[in-house]
This record gives sequence, C-alpha cells and structure tokens, in this order.
Amino acid sequence: MNPEPSGRFPVAIVDDDESVRESLPDLLLEFGFAAQAFASAEEFLASDWVRRSRCLILDVAMPGMSGPDLQRELRRRRQEIPIVFITARGDETVRPRLLKEGAVECLFKPFSEAALLAALDTALRVA
Amino acid sequence: MAESAEARSDVPLESSIPAGAAPLESILCTEELHRRPSRAPDYEKENRALVTLVSALADSPGTILQTLAETILEITQCDSAGLSLLTRDGKTPDVCGKRFYWPAIAGMWNPHAGGGTPRNFGACGDVLDQNRTLLFTHFERRYPYLLPVIPAAEECLLVPFYVAGEAVGTIWAIMHNDRRKFDAEDDRVMASLGKFASSAYQALIHIEDLKIQVSEREAAEAEVRELARGLEAKIRRLVEANVVGIVMWNLDGAITEANDAFLRMVQFDRADLASGRLRWTDLTPAEWRDHDERAVAELMATGVFQPFEKEYLRKGGSRVSVLLGGALFEGSGNDGVAFVLDLSDQRRAARALRRSEAFLAEGQRLSQMGSFSWRVATDEVTWSEELYRIYELEVGLPVTLKVLRTRVHPDDVSLLEKMKMVERARGGGDFEWQYRLMMPDHSIKYMHAVAHATRDEEGQLEYMAAVQDVTARRRSEEALAKARSELAHVARVTSLGVMTASIAHEVNQPLSGIVTNASTCLRMLAADPPNLDGARETARRTIRDGHRASEVISRLRRLAAKKEADTEPVDLNEATREVIALSTSELQRRRVILRLELADDLPPASGDRVQLQQVILNLLLNAADAMSGVDDRPRLLVVRTEPDGGDGVSLSVQDSGVGFAPEDGERLFEAFYTTKDQGMGIGLSVSRSIIERHQGRLWATRSEGPGATFTFTIPLGQPATEA
Repeated sequence: MNPEPSGRFPVAIVDDDESVRESLPDLLLEFGFAAQAFASAEEFLASDWVRRSRCLILDVAMPGMSGPDLQRELRRRRQEIPIVFITARGDETVRPRLLKEGAVECLFKPFSEAALLAALDTALRVA
Repeated sequence: MAESAEARSDVPLESSIPAGAAPLESILCTEELHRRPSRAPDYEKENRALVTLVSALADSPGTILQTLAETILEITQCDSAGLSLLTRDGKTPDVCGKRFYWPAIAGMWNPHAGGGTPRNFGACGDVLDQNRTLLFTHFERRYPYLLPVIPAAEECLLVPFYVAGEAVGTIWAIMHNDRRKFDAEDDRVMASLGKFASSAYQALIHIEDLKIQVSEREAAEAEVRELARGLEAKIRRLVEANVVGIVMWNLDGAITEANDAFLRMVQFDRADLASGRLRWTDLTPAEWRDHDERAVAELMATGVFQPFEKEYLRKGGSRVSVLLGGALFEGSGNDGVAFVLDLSDQRRAARALRRSEAFLAEGQRLSQMGSFSWRVATDEVTWSEELYRIYELEVGLPVTLKVLRTRVHPDDVSLLEKMKMVERARGGGDFEWQYRLMMPDHSIKYMHAVAHATRDEEGQLEYMAAVQDVTARRRSEEALAKARSELAHVARVTSLGVMTASIAHEVNQPLSGIVTNASTCLRMLAADPPNLDGARETARRTIRDGHRASEVISRLRRLAAKKEADTEPVDLNEATREVIALSTSELQRRRVILRLELADDLPPASGDRVQLQQVILNLLLNAADAMSGVDDRPRLLVVRTEPDGGDGVSLSVQDSGVGFAPEDGERLFEAFYTTKDQGMGIGLSVSRSIIERHQGRLWATRSEGPGATFTFTIPLGQPATEA
C-alpha cells in the first residue's frame, strides 16, 4: 500500500469522544500521518476514507454501531483495513477477544505516544 | 270593809245583768239575820268541828274542802253547804278570776259539785264586791242560770274569805225550805269558818301547787325517760349497727363495753372484753401515748375530747389507723364513751392515690414526659416534677417567661409563649409543638409537646400539655438515618462497582485527550520552528480535558461520598443529567437507548441531592438489567420528570424489559429480594426508604407493552418540620 500523494499514510479515527477526535489527528499529523476523525462508524462508512484509510483507529464502545460492529461490517464489505482499537473501559478481557478477531492492537485510554506509534507501525507493516 | 265595798260599788254590775232580772236588793235579806231570834252558840260542837277540820287538814289536805263543806252543813244544820273559789289558772290569765267554781258541796247540792257561777254576775261576786256576808233569798230570780240547780235556794248565807287581803272565794250555807232561817249565830259561825277556809285554801293551794310541781316534774321526768328510751334506742341502734366502733371505758384504762365493730377493728373478741384483758392503754402503741395523754387532759378539763387520729395495736400486733372522739359521762368523772372510726379504707385510698401519683411521676420519669398546665385567666403555670427535672430546674420554682428563657433555645419559641400565641390567635385549640432546650452546658434537648385546651367548670380556658424529652428518640432517629445512609452508601458503592468500567471510561476519555494533547504540544514546541499556535491550542485542550476529568472525578466523589442526609432544593432534571453523565457509557455498553423527557421549568424538589441521585442511578441500572436479555426489540429506556399534579414532582424510569409478575409488585421493594444473578437485592429497598424519608413514594407499575415503570414522587419546598 502506498501513502497518500502527499507521501503521508492516511489514518482514519472513529470515536464518539470529541477530545479524541480533536487531539489524535494533530498528534498523527506531527508524526507525519494524514489523519481524519469521524464521530461514528456510520459517518466513517459514508465517507471515502473507507477506501483511502491505510489504518483505522477505532473506539470500541460507541452509541449506535460499536467498534467491533464496524470491524465486522468492513470484513463483510471486504474492506480489510488494519484496525487499532482504543477503549476507555478498563476491561482487560476485551483485548484478547479483539486481537483474536483480527485487530492489530487494542490500546487502553489513556495510551502513551510510544504505544500508539508501535501499534501504527505494526498496522502499517500489516498493510 | 265598808270603804272597800264602796270602792267595789263603782263596778257597773248592772250593765252585765240581763234586762228584766230582779234587782239585787230584791234578793237580799242580810239585815234579817240580826232581826231574827238567834239560837244559842254550841261551842263544844264548834270546837269539835274545828279539831276535825284541823286534823283533816293535817291528815288529808286533798279532802279538806269537802270536810269543810260537811262541817258547815253539820254546824248550821242547813240543807246544802259548799265553797266557791275564784278560778286561778296561771297559764291562762284571761280565765283567771273570771269564774267561781264549786270544789266541794255537802248536802242536797252535792251532785252539783264541780259546777260554778260567773264572777261578775252571781251571788258570790256580789259578796266579794260588797266584801261582807250577805244573805240571799231565791237568788235564781236575779241569776236565772241557777234555775236548773235544784232544789232552789230559799235562803243562802254567803261569807267571803281572803288570802293576804285578797278575796279568793266564799263559803255558803243554803236552806231549801222554811224549816229554819239563818240567824246571827249562823253569821258568826260562818265568819269563823271563813277564816278557817282561808287557811285551808292556802294549804290547799300550796298542796295544789306542790302537786302541780310534782306532776310537772313527773311529766318532765316521764318526758326525759321517754326521750332517754328513744335516745337509748337510737344509741343502741348506733352501737349495734356497728357502723362505727363504740367503746365505754374509764380513765383507769379499762374498756368496760364495746360493740362488735370496735372488737373487729382491734381483732379482740367478747371473751377478751369480758375478762378485762382489753385495756385501751394496752391498745395504744408507745409513740401514740402522748396523744392519749392530751385527750385525757382535755377530758378532765372539758368533759370531752375532740376527735383525733391515732393507731391501735391489734391483738395480732398489726396496727390499725383510727379516728377517735369521746366524752366522760356526766357526773361520773371517771367513765366515758368514745366512738372509733376505722381509717384503714381512707388510708388505703390515700395510699392508693399517693401510689398512683407516684406511678404517674414514675411513668413521667421513665417516659421523660412532663405535664404542664396554664390557666389563662390567672396566668398560673403548673409543672409536674418530671418537667422540672427535664428542664433541670429546682422543683417548685415559679415558672416565668424569664426562667424559661434560661432554658429554651434562643432560636426557639417556648411552649408557654406558643400557648399564648395560639390563645391570642385562635382563643385556644389543640396543637403540637417542637422546640429545643439549651442547657447551661450548651447541650441540646429536643422537646415535643402536645397541648390540649380545656375549659373548667367556670368556663375559664386552661391549657394542659404533655411535654416529652425526645432527645434520645431524636438521637436514635439520627443514628438510624446514619445507618440508613451507610446502607445507602453500601448500595451506592455496590452499584458504582457495577459501573466501575463505565466510570473508568468517563475518566479515561479526558485523560486520553490530555495525554494525546500533551504529546502533540511537546512535538509542536520541539519542531523547528516551533508551532506555537498549535502548541497553544493543544495546551488549551489539555487544560479543558483536565477540567473535564476533574468534573468526572468530583461527580463520582459526590455520588460515592458518605455523608449525612442534607435537605436542600434539588433540581431533579440536573440531578438526573449528572447521573446519566456517569452512566452513559454503561448504558451504551448494554445497548440501552436512552430517551430523556425532562419537563421544562420543573420546580425544585426538597431533599438530599446525592440520595436522590442514588435512587435515579439504581432505577437506571435496574432498567438496564431488566432489558439485558432483550434482543427482539429496542432496549428503550425513558427517563421522565414532571410535576406530579400536587405539591410535588415525579420522576419515572420506564424500561422495555422483562417486567414483573403482578404478585411481585411489592416484593420488588423488599431488601435482598432479587431476580438477578448479581447484586444484593438491596437497591430498590434502599431506594424506597430514601424516597420515604423524603416524604415521597416509590412504586412500580407494569407497562402496557413489555417492561415496567418505576416512579417516585417527592414534595416541593421545605418539608413541614417545626423546630
């Protein structure tokens, strides 16, 4: 997979939490990614980022379609985008389940910069 | 004599004499006596007669007048002889001297004894008027009332006699035919007999007076005897009725007679009495002897002793309280009678009264309940002892507003003041009043009074109040509230535990923002050239997310805080939103679709915000639990607030879950009743107790479709509690 014409890898972010949608794209830009945040799975599916994204940073719990729901939907659409799940719930049992379902990584909020970069690195290598 | 006769001649005799009667002169022939040949005096016969008379006077004064009449008959050889006496009746003065009566007649007129003639219209009266001996002939011609007195008097010789110069009667001799005529000798003998008659009369009067005295005395004695018999009967009745103890005694200490009532009282019997063992000196316990001595002294001085209370020793040694009064018999100086009343019943009644008063006082002490009365007209205040104790005031101290002010809490209105207010405002009426006392050591007592207005027999208003020290109750209520709040805390922490993940989510979201923004900010500053605008923006977001996190934390802290119940105005909408803010992610996780229907302009309710939020959270989690197995329909949860149509607001949580069986409607609220695998089943029970403490109500209704609705209502404004 190639990066964007800008030479930057496109990373989509789907999270109902506004502060994530505000902060994470800026950080990813600093790291040299192209980033776009969506407030819901439905919003993401309606955009062209479904095709463009080289990585999806996806919140687990969201109103309406949840992160895993979106994962299943993308698999159904054969849009296999590497997914890094992020979750604010401290439930450790969710991680192995998500990894088993094919997620690249599952990060618990708040996650460190290093953990995020490591996950993205893995995702890009998968991609 | 002549002068006296002249004086008497003034009496208008004629006026009383019927017209047509013969004049007095026509029936008088007194002068004839000295013209007629006089027989020789027979002194021997005369002396014999006088001796007979004198001895008769000595031997049988009762018949002296009859003897005198017979003597006249004998000496004058006449046909009838007798006496006329003026009536004397001290008791009827109008009768006194109005008539002559004939106490004794001898001879032919003897059957007429007991008869008599008028004082002022008859021969006897004429004799007394003229104050001399008169000789009448056929006086019935002038005095026709004598016509039936037969045989008629041919001649009648009448001689007056006197006592102490006063004419009191006549003696007379009558010839009914011409067999012989009275002469001067008859005149002399009659005068002589007249003197005797005077003596006889005096003796007789004396005797009669004596007789009268005797008979009067006899009558009086009979009356006394009769009275005594009556009295005796009455006294005997009194003695035998045994209503009171009656005892006869002497000053030596003996009891000579006693009725059964007395014997019963002291538990002795008749044999004891008969044997003389029963002595009043022995019946008296040592400490009462001085009372006896005083009574004896009183008896000596006055003959009676006033009733006094004392004790007797019974035969068995026990004591009996008695009232004792008595007197010495008149003229005895040593013997007397006394009545004895058994006071045991009165003593028992008094004891019972004292005991019930003591019970009341004890009851008041135990219940820390005092009583209080205020007579409005006299401003008279009466307190029970317990009330003094509660107020820690000296018993009996006059209760004034000033005194009350030393005890009643400065912020509170005393009961007496409240009574006065109610009396002024409503003229009486019952009420309840709660106030506090602040004791000198600044400790607080909580008082609860129930006041009742009554009117006495004169229609005067009187307040009576039962005043209870409810401090202990208040403290236990507080302790209970604390326990309840601790239980609520346990429940809260339990439900928060359920929400740990949800809460972590709420906290982790902003933390995540903070970390990301901080990283970005550092990178922007480290760039060459540094992106200052970007750094500024990310720093701003960091701060904002920090606030957001701290808000979550403080909301959490508030909800989890273990604090005493507080009453404040609570905006139920805002409280609901706060709870939902903490539980959104939990509800999301459980795929619950939340719909808020919060009323605009909902008036604030009164209550403890945190406790109410605890209830709301419980209801939300319950609803979510109820819908956990629902997959065939939206897991719709509607939270609705609205005015309840009365003086309160209501909040309802409607789910589309499994609902509940009609018979479980109330069991839902029982502690430890649960249909769930997890949880202690105390959520709804605690919720209901919280709502009830808010004077509200929490209930469950089954929905039309699937699911249940839990609703509570709580009142607006400050709950009506008076302090």
